Amino acid sequence: MVNFLASVNYTGWILHVLLALPLVGSVAVFLSPAALAKRLALVLTIVEFLLSAPLWFMVNTASGTMELVATIPWIPQWGISYAVGIDGISLMMVLLTTMLMPLCVLGSFSYITHREPGYYALLLVLTTGMIGVFVAIDMFLFYVFWEVMLIPMYFLIGIWGGKNRLYAALKFFIYTMAGSLLMLVAIIVMVRVAAVMGGGKVSFSYFHLLSYAQTPIMGRLAPWLFLAFFLAFAIKVPIFPFHTWLPDAHVEAPTAGSVILASVLLKMGTYGFLRFAVPFFPNIAFSSGVTAVVTALAVIGIVYGALVAMVQPDIKKLVAYSSVSHLGFAMLGIWAASVQGVQGALMVMIGHGFSTGALFFLIGMIYERRHTREIDAYGGIARVVPIFSLILTVVALASIGLPGLNGFVGEFLVLIGSFKQFPIATGIATTGVIFAAAYLLWALQRMIFNKLDKPENEAIPDLTRRELIVLVPLLIGIVWMGLYPKPVLDRMEPAARRYILTAKGLPIPGEAITPTRGAAQ
Amino acid sequence: MNGLDLATPAGVMLALLPELVVVAASLIVLLLNAFRHQTAADSRLAGWVSLAGLVAAAAALASLWQTGAAPIGTPHMVALDGYRFAALAVILLASIGTVLLSLDYLERENLIAPEYYALLLMATSGMMFLAGAEDLIVLFLGLEVMSVPVYVLAGFNRRSVFSAEAALKYFLVGAIASAFLLYGIALTYGATGTTALTAIGQRVAGQGVTPMLGLGVGFMLIGLGFKVASVPFHMWAPDVYDGAPTPVTAYMATGVKAAGFLSLVRVLMVGFPAIVDTWQPVVGVLAAASMIIGNLVALAQRSLKRMLAYSSVAHAGYLLAAVWAGSRAGASATLLYLTAYVLTTLATFGILAVLGRGGERDVTYDTVAGLARRRPVIAFALAVCMFSLLGFPGTLGFIGKWAIISAVVAEHHQFLAVVLVLTSLVSAGYYLPVVRAMYMKDPLTADQHDGVVLPGPARWAVGIGVALLLVFGVLPRLVIGSSDRSAASFVGSGLDRAVDARR
Repeated sequence: MVNFLASVNYTGWILHVLLALPLVGSVAVFLSPAALAKRLALVLTIVEFLLSAPLWFMVNTASGTMELVATIPWIPQWGISYAVGIDGISLMMVLLTTMLMPLCVLGSFSYITHREPGYYALLLVLTTGMIGVFVAIDMFLFYVFWEVMLIPMYFLIGIWGGKNRLYAALKFFIYTMAGSLLMLVAIIVMVRVAAVMGGGKVSFSYFHLLSYAQTPIMGRLAPWLFLAFFLAFAIKVPIFPFHTWLPDAHVEAPTAGSVILASVLLKMGTYGFLRFAVPFFPNIAFSSGVTAVVTALAVIGIVYGALVAMVQPDIKKLVAYSSVSHLGFAMLGIWAASVQGVQGALMVMIGHGFSTGALFFLIGMIYERRHTREIDAYGGIARVVPIFSLILTVVALASIGLPGLNGFVGEFLVLIGSFKQFPIATGIATTGVIFAAAYLLWALQRMIFNKLDKPENEAIPDLTRRELIVLVPLLIGIVWMGLYPKPVLDRMEPAARRYILTAKGLPIPGEAITPTRGAAQ
Repeated sequence: MNGLDLATPAGVMLALLPELVVVAASLIVLLLNAFRHQTAADSRLAGWVSLAGLVAAAAALASLWQTGAAPIGTPHMVALDGYRFAALAVILLASIGTVLLSLDYLERENLIAPEYYALLLMATSGMMFLAGAEDLIVLFLGLEVMSVPVYVLAGFNRRSVFSAEAALKYFLVGAIASAFLLYGIALTYGATGTTALTAIGQRVAGQGVTPMLGLGVGFMLIGLGFKVASVPFHMWAPDVYDGAPTPVTAYMATGVKAAGFLSLVRVLMVGFPAIVDTWQPVVGVLAAASMIIGNLVALAQRSLKRMLAYSSVAHAGYLLAAVWAGSRAGASATLLYLTAYVLTTLATFGILAVLGRGGERDVTYDTVAGLARRRPVIAFALAVCMFSLLGFPGTLGFIGKWAIISAVVAEHHQFLAVVLVLTSLVSAGYYLPVVRAMYMKDPLTADQHDGVVLPGPARWAVGIGVALLLVFGVLPRLVIGSSDRSAASFVGSGLDRAVDARR
């Protein structure tokens, strides 16, 4: 297999194909009649996944650096290239994306009933945007993917969303854009400063900027630059108090939109911290003030998200607020900058992608049957829809963090990884796990257990085969990563260690220190 | 390089060939009008002749540009450099687009008077002289030759009181602007003893700022500020844009604004690079005020035409930010942004023109509700225009904004860059609702969009415009290269020294 892939130069073209295939395919899907469009979209996303799967073996993640790097000049006058690469962290995010997309397409087959070609075409455009964000190593290219992704999501919420969709779509767009526009100025300022320092070499390359990140002149501007990056990513994660767009967007989006938002889009925020904000400005990020603020906000997010989730009458809103809580753990782990902490943050990102994605799918499926998301409208449906109830219970337990399922691994690693640095914050964060058990189990009890006291609930059909096909891969992932997360952790560890060294400003073993770093003017 | 001896008549004729072709075309159209001015067919004929004239001028321009025509010695009245060629290209683009939009519009609105095209060509020739002027007297003549026909064009719909109001208002404000400009030129002459920009540049570098010179530059800024509709000289813009026939509005928003900015860049960067510290604060304040006020007031508009009027004030602010930079990069960004802005605005007004009747004053966000269902191609084109005006990646508008931010940041003024992006964010609040209405709302009535059809010539203008926005938005190497080269060609000696000395 490996030999065959090597013989077709797989590593030479795979990233470009992964970016181009959905984009080109989206045009074909858009021009197809509705019945064909969804099948074509399904085929394209499956092909995309099958193409991306061998990356698991073919990327040498042991080095911890970017592999499969390709750089093609794009706008040479401005020092901009089409530059892509992949390391252990990107690898997991890309695979998460490509794995979810066929499920999202398949899961939308009965949910979306009007203007279907446009819907599936936008899902494909979104795929390109998401993969692009995770593999771009040119800041201009990164920014373009980061922004362009807004458009498909805006339309997905605004056209196929719920009652309040117009408001939610606009709010989503404006919030995200507010953060990223300041990041745009920060990127340009960084490039400018690097050019002045580097004798006029203008380059948007990630590595080029990284090597100038700690020079003194950048140091003077660094707090502002960091603030701009921080806002862009904090809104995306979202960190309390920038989270208010999230419940609206999640609740109003169609099922696949919610799944993508929760599973991939939010991870772009944490990915941004890991890849850009912290490595560019480690001195600022780990200054005592910023650390205090971030850990405080992360802990507030964990507790506040959980408490607000507890009182939601709407199950979709409950899950949305639970995301705020879960992502707080990821932030805590990123700022702990210990191996367990960062690994845990990455596991939370992936695990949350699986379990919350599955939760949103399940909510969408029951909504299609009963057209309500009110928890109190259900009750005792375990007897009517046993398979649905079983899967919902397993996924909810995973989300709570039951040992043996995936949610546990990430949150546990974060807690042990950050306890040494932030004992108090970690202590408070631990209560988030308890609250999670409370809100999810309470919701489960009211929805599927209790008494079957409402006549409308007595004749709900159980999951169809198509719906099972959507859920089973997610269940497999949940159990596999809960029982044997080692292959995933192993692939991410070198990149995580590298992040920690960069974050602490330490030399990376086996590499000469970049001569420009620290070279005072 | 192809040297042209400007001492010989042949050399001068060749150097001014694009302008001469446009002037000749306007005279031919005028003559034609004397014999044929009755029917719709006559109007159409005049339109096609004008188009042919403009295309011929573009061809002449292309051949000059291609051969790299350069003067032997110093040109005295009209510049002969890459920046003029690029400026003429932008102006001809705006004029050709306007003619294409006008062809069917005039018939539909029953404005059968072929003089329209003669006036349009005269105004175009004025713009070309204005943008290429190397001498302040030529600049003033160009401005007047541009302005007077546009006053008439604004009031071209004689049956509409709003059109008449627009013409009168534009004329009164324009007259004041001309007076300011003329007074500024006089003061500058008083301070330096010459009206030739290059000579002014040398003398200013020698003597520095005097009160008279500062006043002169300030008055010229006011005069041109009126023409490009920057805050606080923008009060006329909404009413005039609103009342004028829509293709004329497009012409004012693109051609007049472009010519104003291109001459502003030349005046400031050839004539006054040495006192950049004096005019930069003024331009910076005008830029910030235009961005903030234009964008905020646009939010409150219900009529799309008025919204676009205020948004054009905001865009004047972005362009002033590029002018503020006072550098090669700033001059290049001005060209790049103008190209994007002209293409986008022409296409937008072209679509606006088919959405309504009787001057499109009552086209609101509701008018475009559900347009995507019935007219997917037009809706897509308008959506691309909105995203380009917003400065979203994938469109040329984004490249233009990126260039402006780069130019501003390079001069160490992060604050202006932050104002630019934050006000761009505000603009999402009025551009996005257009997209939202088209894609996410239902038509008010079943037959609401039946009449929305782009007629042939306008279809070409809109189609090519939108296609270029997308193509250059993704592959901008060509446009960036040519605006960089053009900017480099004239910001040669004086400016860079001044800027370097300041650092």
